[in-house]
Amino acid sequence: MNTNSESPDDPGVVIKKTIGTYFVLRGGQVLPCGISSLLRKDFVYSTADPTSMPRRVQSARFNTHEDPVAVGDIVRFRDAGDGNGVITAVLPRRNRMARRSAVPMPGAHPFEQVIAANLDQVVAVFAAARPTPSWHLLDRYLVSAESLNLPSLVVITKFDLVAGGEIEDDLFAAAKAYRKIGYPVLLTSAVDGLGLDELRQTLAGRVSVLVGKSGVGKTCLLNALQPGLGLRVNAVNRSTGKGRHTTTHSEMFLLDFGGAIIDTPGVREFGLWNVDAQVLAEFFPEMQPLIGTCKFGLDCRHAEEPGCAIRQAVTNGAISPYRYQSFVRLREEL
Amino acid sequence: MKPRLAYGYPSTRVRRDGDFQCIHCHNLVPSAAAWAGVQHRNHCPYCLWSRHVDLYWAGDRLSACKAGMWPVGLTAKQRVDRYGRSIPGELMLIHACVECNGVAINRIAADDHVAILLEIFQRSQDLDRRLVNQLQAGGIAVLDAAEASLVQARLLGTK
Repeated sequence: MNTNSESPDDPGVVIKKTIGTYFVLRGGQVLPCGISSLLRKDFVYSTADPTSMPRRVQSARFNTHEDPVAVGDIVRFRDAGDGNGVITAVLPRRNRMARRSAVPMPGAHPFEQVIAANLDQVVAVFAAARPTPSWHLLDRYLVSAESLNLPSLVVITKFDLVAGGEIEDDLFAAAKAYRKIGYPVLLTSAVDGLGLDELRQTLAGRVSVLVGKSGVGKTCLLNALQPGLGLRVNAVNRSTGKGRHTTTHSEMFLLDFGGAIIDTPGVREFGLWNVDAQVLAEFFPEMQPLIGTCKFGLDCRHAEEPGCAIRQAVTNGAISPYRYQSFVRLREEL
Repeated sequence: MKPRLAYGYPSTRVRRDGDFQCIHCHNLVPSAAAWAGVQHRNHCPYCLWSRHVDLYWAGDRLSACKAGMWPVGLTAKQRVDRYGRSIPGELMLIHACVECNGVAINRIAADDHVAILLEIFQRSQDLDRRLVNQLQAGGIAVLDAAEASLVQARLLGTK
């Protein structure tokens, strides 16, 4: 990928991405851009004489799978003068949240799908009901954020659907379990405005990304947070209880109260990318202090080994068995 | 707090892990229902040991203990006949974890070793009183010598 920061082209931030078009914000103006084909090429340089200037390209591979530009990227672009532009370089990213791509068939090679770049925090959004929250999916988001060293916030939407009902107790128990680990959990409702002020405070002055399943109310939450956006939302399917993939592209919105938020399309799967199975326990904060204290030290896989401190902590009730199960499932998958 | 099964946890599905090796006698155990006569094989048919892998519900695979579970004794599932009387039903095997004292009751499979089942029943007559009390507190009544004919009938049939 070309990350030449010496280019004379203008810098800007990618705030929206649709298929083939990137919207770059610079000085309050938004310019739709394409990207230079150079960004889609991976160059292999000759190593025979690394000091030679200019470096000689030995071969070029056209990368058709991975999108080199993500929402949140700081790019250099050239204004064509006809209302369009071309992105010529992507500046080095502070961080990037990525997932493993779905594969069309078993055995096919997955690739990296960057969801957003240059983030300050990850906001994992789940619905209290319709669709039912998937705590294992939440653990995936949290592990991904931990691997990037980013703080996470858990937001549970549609609380009005379960308030006063039987599920409320389960929801409080789950929220308590995550708060005990150290993750802030906010119960919100776009209908009656519950928890929105608290959420605004947490989002202010930061670049956040909203991630979650389709139909959990990410865009609805955004509409409630900043009235006037008028983003398209849709009810979940009554028969299946699943979302309808209403948001189809990623977009960054500048918030009136400071900061920015990136709305993303809902996903049904979130495969971890660039997370090593050997160090997975490091990304579970409640397991971190126990790493290395097992009978087999750092060699322990925390699966069936005798004298495992993490398994012991689960048995004692110090670690949630559901979190441990998530750990085991993720480890098997990596 | 034990959450409801349907509320967002992945443990609602019982995963079929296939054949396994017994943690106690190391025999390879086939899991196919054609052999076991039950859909969910949960103990070795040769030594009747089990493994502590479930925590709240059968098949949730939430236990981190994973130690062996020894066959403590036999119990009978209680059922109600057509006149509303409580009568002993299916014979069940009681397992206790060797590490954390967790207890489970499991269905006897078609290919379970009958001689060992009878041996377990005999041995259970001399169980430690504390363990019997612990089981009773959990609502599990170990079959005693008075129910020997019931055990015989369930395992070997009636003439």
